[in-house]
Amino acid sequence: METLAMPAINFAAIMPETILSAVAMALLLVNVFVRSEQKAYLGYLSLIGILVTFFPIVAGWNAPVELQSGFNGAVLQDNFSLFFKGIFLVSAALSILISDQYMQREGCNHGELYPLILLATAGMMLMASGTDLMVIFLGLELLSVALYVLAGFNRDKLKSNEAGLKYFLLGAFSTGFLLYGMALTFGATGTTKIAGIAAYVAANPMITGNQMFLVGMLLMGVGFSFKIAAAPFHMWTPDVYEGAPTPMTAFMSVGPKAAGFAAFLRVFMIALPAYKPEWSALLWVLAVLTMTVGNITALFQQDIKRMLAYSSIAHAGYVLVGFVAGNAVGTAGIMFYMLSYAFMNIGAFAIILLVGRKGEPNNNVADYAGFGFKHPLLGLAMSIFLFSLAGIPPAAGFIGKFYIFSGAIQAGYIWLAIIGVLNSAASVYYYLRVMVFMYMKDPVEEFDWLKVTPAHALCLLVAVAGVLIPGIVPGYLLELAQKAVFF
Amino acid sequence: MLEYVWLIPLFPLLGAVFNGLLGKKIKNEAVIGGIATLMIFCSFLVSCGILMQLIGLPAEERVFEKVVFPWIHSGNFKADMAFLVDPLSAIMIMVVTGVGSLIHLYSIGYMHGEEGFYRYFSYLNLFAMSMLLLVLGGNMLVMFIGWEGVGLCSYLLIGYYFHKKSAGDAAKKAFVMNRVGDFGFLIGLFTLYWWLGSNHNVWTINFTEIKAASSLLPYGGVVTIATLCFFVGATGKSAQIPLYTWLPDAMEGPTPVSALIHAATMVTAGVYMIGRMSFVFVKAPDTMMVIAIVGAATAIFAATIGTAQNDIKRVLAYSTVSQLGFMFLAMGVGAFTAGVFHLMTHAFFKACLFLGSGSVIHAMHHALHHAHSHDDPQDMRNMGGLRKAMPITFITFLVSTIAIAGIPGFSGFFSKDEILWQAFANPFHGGLNIFLWGTGAIAACFTAFYMFRLVFMTFFGECRITAKSKDHLHESPLVITIPLMVLGFLAVFGGYVGMPKLLGMLPNYFEHWLEPVFATAQGYAQTYVHAGAHHSHALEWGLMGLSVVIAVIGIAIAYILYIASPSIPARFTATFPALHRAVYNKWYIDELYDFLFINPCKALGSFLWKGFDVLVIDGIVDGVAKVVMGLSGMLKNLQSGYVHNYALSMALGVVVIIAFYIFR
Amino acid sequence: METFFFAIVALVAIVSGMLVVKCRNPINSALSLIVTFFCLATFYVMLEAPFMAAIQVIVYAGAIMVLIVFVIMLLNLRTETGSRYTHAVTVGTIIGVLTLIEIVYFFSGGRSGLTGATGGLNTETIERVGHTELIGRSMFTDFLLPFEITSLLLLVAIVGAVVLAKKKI
Repeated sequence: METLAMPAINFAAIMPETILSAVAMALLLVNVFVRSEQKAYLGYLSLIGILVTFFPIVAGWNAPVELQSGFNGAVLQDNFSLFFKGIFLVSAALSILISDQYMQREGCNHGELYPLILLATAGMMLMASGTDLMVIFLGLELLSVALYVLAGFNRDKLKSNEAGLKYFLLGAFSTGFLLYGMALTFGATGTTKIAGIAAYVAANPMITGNQMFLVGMLLMGVGFSFKIAAAPFHMWTPDVYEGAPTPMTAFMSVGPKAAGFAAFLRVFMIALPAYKPEWSALLWVLAVLTMTVGNITALFQQDIKRMLAYSSIAHAGYVLVGFVAGNAVGTAGIMFYMLSYAFMNIGAFAIILLVGRKGEPNNNVADYAGFGFKHPLLGLAMSIFLFSLAGIPPAAGFIGKFYIFSGAIQAGYIWLAIIGVLNSAASVYYYLRVMVFMYMKDPVEEFDWLKVTPAHALCLLVAVAGVLIPGIVPGYLLELAQKAVFF
Repeated sequence: MLEYVWLIPLFPLLGAVFNGLLGKKIKNEAVIGGIATLMIFCSFLVSCGILMQLIGLPAEERVFEKVVFPWIHSGNFKADMAFLVDPLSAIMIMVVTGVGSLIHLYSIGYMHGEEGFYRYFSYLNLFAMSMLLLVLGGNMLVMFIGWEGVGLCSYLLIGYYFHKKSAGDAAKKAFVMNRVGDFGFLIGLFTLYWWLGSNHNVWTINFTEIKAASSLLPYGGVVTIATLCFFVGATGKSAQIPLYTWLPDAMEGPTPVSALIHAATMVTAGVYMIGRMSFVFVKAPDTMMVIAIVGAATAIFAATIGTAQNDIKRVLAYSTVSQLGFMFLAMGVGAFTAGVFHLMTHAFFKACLFLGSGSVIHAMHHALHHAHSHDDPQDMRNMGGLRKAMPITFITFLVSTIAIAGIPGFSGFFSKDEILWQAFANPFHGGLNIFLWGTGAIAACFTAFYMFRLVFMTFFGECRITAKSKDHLHESPLVITIPLMVLGFLAVFGGYVGMPKLLGMLPNYFEHWLEPVFATAQGYAQTYVHAGAHHSHALEWGLMGLSVVIAVIGIAIAYILYIASPSIPARFTATFPALHRAVYNKWYIDELYDFLFINPCKALGSFLWKGFDVLVIDGIVDGVAKVVMGLSGMLKNLQSGYVHNYALSMALGVVVIIAFYIFR
Repeated sequence: METFFFAIVALVAIVSGMLVVKCRNPINSALSLIVTFFCLATFYVMLEAPFMAAIQVIVYAGAIMVLIVFVIMLLNLRTETGSRYTHAVTVGTIIGVLTLIEIVYFFSGGRSGLTGATGGLNTETIERVGHTELIGRSMFTDFLLPFEITSLLLLVAIVGAVVLAKKKI
């Protein structure tokens, strides 16, 4: 009998995930002893967990490769994944900061919320650092299952139930595609390791003619496209975003999308460069479709959460432009953009959450009439977020778009960049419409129910800083993103 | 100290943010104004330190570039947040922060009790920050941000009394004209960037790098196009023909704003920009000629209009336009040092004049207000004899007027005479020189005339307001008069740093100081300017004397007309009513623009609206809107809410994608 | 012989799969699903994966489906009345037909033929070492991390089920 050769277990490579999971499990236990009205403490504990998780991320930057990889090459915690892990942590932290107020208001402040967020974040991290298709898939499942629950977290509200169920059904459907794609890829190359696939393709260039491999690539693309909400796999987004509890909408509009892109980028750029002409053509079409469908549908939305849902579809389209470019500038642009998107989108949702009150979500754009006068600072913050979403300087959104589009131009995709810019211009309409209501209509409401808790204020402050500072001083962050690009 | 150059724009920015966010809550004017003034004063101190350090360095090492942070790097395109400190920008930051500090201080008194006090100071600080970015910018993009920023702040401050329709209109006019100019600036920037990049693979917008690469530029050709575009930008910002009409209207803003933005600093940005890129401009002799001609024409044109205005601030506004014309004349003949020198002295005496007029208006307003009179406090016909009531204002105003008129011993004389001499002697434009000089000299005569007309009408003669109001005429408080005295002092002695060699009493520090900045440009100029006739000292002496005589003549005419026999102007007006009307109505330029541009645009607009628009464009626009709406509605309908529909769309997507690839 | 046997099992799998969707009585659907699972188990056997076959029967057909049938009975779900699938029959048909064409083309090998990579785990190895041990080995070597992640996944699923379904939490 042969001995079992256990792989080198390198905990450094999965330290962030380990910490988050451990904190999540501990919180599940602690939760039992915390009374219902004090669940906010679980939030603070999870924030501490997130802060602690930042340490291995910072420490791991530029670490030697033997510290980065582990488990027989199942994970690789390189700079690329560290950057994304930072994005996930930021989005999780910001979402947790705004959760308690909303959950208490809606009467669903169950303590399980925080462990689920942490585990979902761990799932995203596994997607970002996974170099084995199985790890990526399981990370995605871990993330998705947690998100299904989070979307339906407001159990007593029909809309929330609907959101959870829809997300679950369609997510399961798309998972089928992804898994089938992975299976076919495995069948064609005999390995699930990304590096192994790349090596196999390099050794057998004829494999690209193999339909099994081709369809595997396409189905994996479809599975990831669902996760990032690219058209035509985007239909779940508005319903789920609208129905889910607002803090969770904020959470799932940023992190999972970034995670999807991280895995998408790694699998396609490293494992499947042989198919680059094919997948870049496919993504070209998807990018155009996604941007256009997202923006056009958003134009006439009255519900601001739905509007932001469509806008998030459009943003996935912009990011796909950077993906199609496939060069270092575009990829660095994607990373920069996803990070600034975390700040601006969660910031916007934080304001939306404040405007609503129990039983009255006030999600209609018209409900924002005169908001800018009644609450000048909040109005200013919202304007900053909307400006950034619209891609107007000096907000970070502009810089991100600038790099993504210039990456596309440098790679020769002039038309794609033009379509992107046009779409971006069209999007200004619906973002500014909110501002028109905020500043040019007379107030209907007094907005006197509005209470900014310290946690909420912290979230808004961080978000504003996160939008403005990289917008005005993009150099450092961009340098970081450029160092994180894996090629 | 040089390392800390980034502090200079940072201080005013902090002040602007502080007052913008908290000013409304603080309400205490002393705190708001004090902080704003303190911030700009801190910048002034840093600027002084930098100047000192620069002076301590050898002449050729007086260039320092500070990259504060990397900004936009994308392929070939590289723009850092970089500041460039050299003798030229050192002078500019000294002027901006020095005069700026005084005007901030003055504003505390002048704006006392105004609604939106905090708003005013926030804008003023923001302006200072933008202006400092503009002059310190190490590349064209930073400069452009400052360029846009000062335009924006100018717009905000002109429209400060936004409830007044005229103020709103003036702000809009300034903004639109500036935008026209900015567009020119951008096109120039792109042209230069693209040409250098595609022909010589020098992809840069950095000033020092462009300077290093400027030998690659050809004489004329594409450089002419680029520089002409830049010049269009300069005419917009610096109120030259044809884009000058916004500046007189800009007097709708508070008077300190007129002093700081519309006299001392922002409007000189065009001159500064040409100086900053002298090595490019010199390579386009045709552009230089255009600049010289436009400058001379603006100088005399605005001066004539100034002679017939009755609003004290309008006279000064036209005077500013005219003086800017002199600066452009200097730039156009390649006398960059003289242009920048005049920029500096002009900043002193014109700021003093504006602040003095503000002091007068302040007092008049106060007096008229007490007497419940509704006379216009800015109309000089209501003034007169104020010298007794306001001695300090009078003396500083008089000193500055003498300076601008060009009487020897005062700062304006040195700089203006230098410009006129260079216009005559610099062999740049051959036979054109004598005309440039002549035009300038006549404009100088007009300047002396209308400025003394202003002084005589305001401070001399009989007081023309009611006795009741007269009792309430007071000198302004110290916070207003201190800046006046400082500026008055500078208006007299500021010129001694740049004394012509001819007079020989002091070395021309100013010229030596700027020599390294403009050396490259002078080098290029040598190659196509055939050394002209060498002019003798006697000629220079003669011309200098002539310009003094001219100034004296102007003053004498003013004295005769407004002091000795005040009936003549009325008779003159009666004899030549058409001429007077024309001058009084600013040569009908606004009307001409209305006729040439605005009305045709309106007419075309209404024609297009009625004919073309309703039928075609509306059709297209409505069509597009309908298509988009229809599409939007369709996509919305697709979003039926049924899960199986969503799944179906996904399945359809998958099937189509796979079909496309495997049946390819 | 093997092909013939495969065809029969495949036919049963497809028919029972369709019955899962078509049956109006949920119990019948569940029972059809069990049949499908058995057919899948048969496939595993034919693919020389006896362990997978056993797991398929024990876990899916045995445990999960029994649970589902219990739930259906407890909830007393009745036969579905009213019409279904009226919305998108045409689009659905088109998609179905296209999918069929694609599948046929795909498995006919298209232009290049279907060739997968072959690794070390061939029939001979499986017979020598044993299927269960091979799975165990790869689970604790190559797929150690995925195996561990699965535990997290199960945890999330349990927590989620409790959060969504428990009356009072």
